[in-house]
Amino acid sequence: MLYNIHVSIDVDVAMPVEDKSKSLLPFLSSPKLLPNESEAEFQSGLQSLLSELDNPSPLALALVSQLNESLWWIRRHTVDKELLLHEAMARILSKAGSYSETYDNRKVSEALEHYLDGRADKDEAEWIDEILAESKLTLSDLRVRAFKDAAKHIKLVDDLIHRQHQTMRHLQRSIDSIDYKSRLIKRMDLELAALESRQSVKGVLSLDDEPS
Amino acid sequence: MTMNHRRNLANRCNALKSTGPRSVAGKRASSQNSRKHGLSSAPVFESSLEYQALVELITEEGFSAFACADIAAGLLNYRRVMDAYYDTYTSPEPVDDFMRDMNVRASIPIFRELLSPSGSEPADVRDMAAFFAGIQRQERRKGGPVSRRSADTHKLIRYQRNGIARLSRSVRQG
Repeated sequence: MLYNIHVSIDVDVAMPVEDKSKSLLPFLSSPKLLPNESEAEFQSGLQSLLSELDNPSPLALALVSQLNESLWWIRRHTVDKELLLHEAMARILSKAGSYSETYDNRKVSEALEHYLDGRADKDEAEWIDEILAESKLTLSDLRVRAFKDAAKHIKLVDDLIHRQHQTMRHLQRSIDSIDYKSRLIKRMDLELAALESRQSVKGVLSLDDEPS
Repeated sequence: MTMNHRRNLANRCNALKSTGPRSVAGKRASSQNSRKHGLSSAPVFESSLEYQALVELITEEGFSAFACADIAAGLLNYRRVMDAYYDTYTSPEPVDDFMRDMNVRASIPIFRELLSPSGSEPADVRDMAAFFAGIQRQERRKGGPVSRRSADTHKLIRYQRNGIARLSRSVRQG
């Protein structure tokens, strides 16, 4: 056991953390990003998490990268909640007024997306205003109705976000336990060194005492 | 009614007459149709290079051999789940625009025309229209791409819960 303790500390000193992370990270934290996501942002999140750890071990690095991924998933799912609302709003609009016979959700959906982002051209904005007027709805009414319609799907996304929070809690506890373990090992090592030095001092003293 | 719509309807009607694959290769391929993500099967990591490398690295942290094996398997298992999660999220069941947007009632004359060569009764046409209306209801209930990917990803929650619990347990007990 003591031998193991010494080995672990020797390795920590001999091998820089970056080298270890390089050997671990390729298959544990190669980010799988969507086409519109920024890898630099993902990496900066990871770096900021890592900066909170004092000399992290390779296992801690692996767990932190999983933690960062969970945070990233929470971000994605939060965006999805808004998109679900937009989807439901488009569905309501495409059923409204004279458009009920030509149920073209995609066209309405695109126009509405642009309208909400403020990127709609004049025609699109007029078209959406026209459908809203025809269906006797304001944008906020539409949003409320869409929320009611999409409640089931929004609940699913909330579950997904909740799951990521739970996952983060598990990972946090694991990182804490590794950190505690490494501190315990260091403390035991220090105590051992203190004991050894005390022993050697005693040995010297007893050798000194012998002649008298 | 455009020719394109008519052709689409004819294709759908003909597809209903299909009796499935006949060749051995076709049957083998279709036997995997219901396979979703493969997370229910027990994985074997011991022979993989990643597993060996992980065990080696974790051993250096002072864990016992048993704990190292457990943690490495836990990590790889969790990664497997999260990769499946990503794949499910990025490839949801596609929206069938044709089915979702079609006007079933307006398509009845085409059904009549398509079914008449076989001397179909009006009941057959009604059945066909009801069948298409049913599929359309299902299609609309599933919602758009975001609803679909949320619903599909939601099915993987239990695998994620088990995966992270296993990993966390192995690290804390190691």
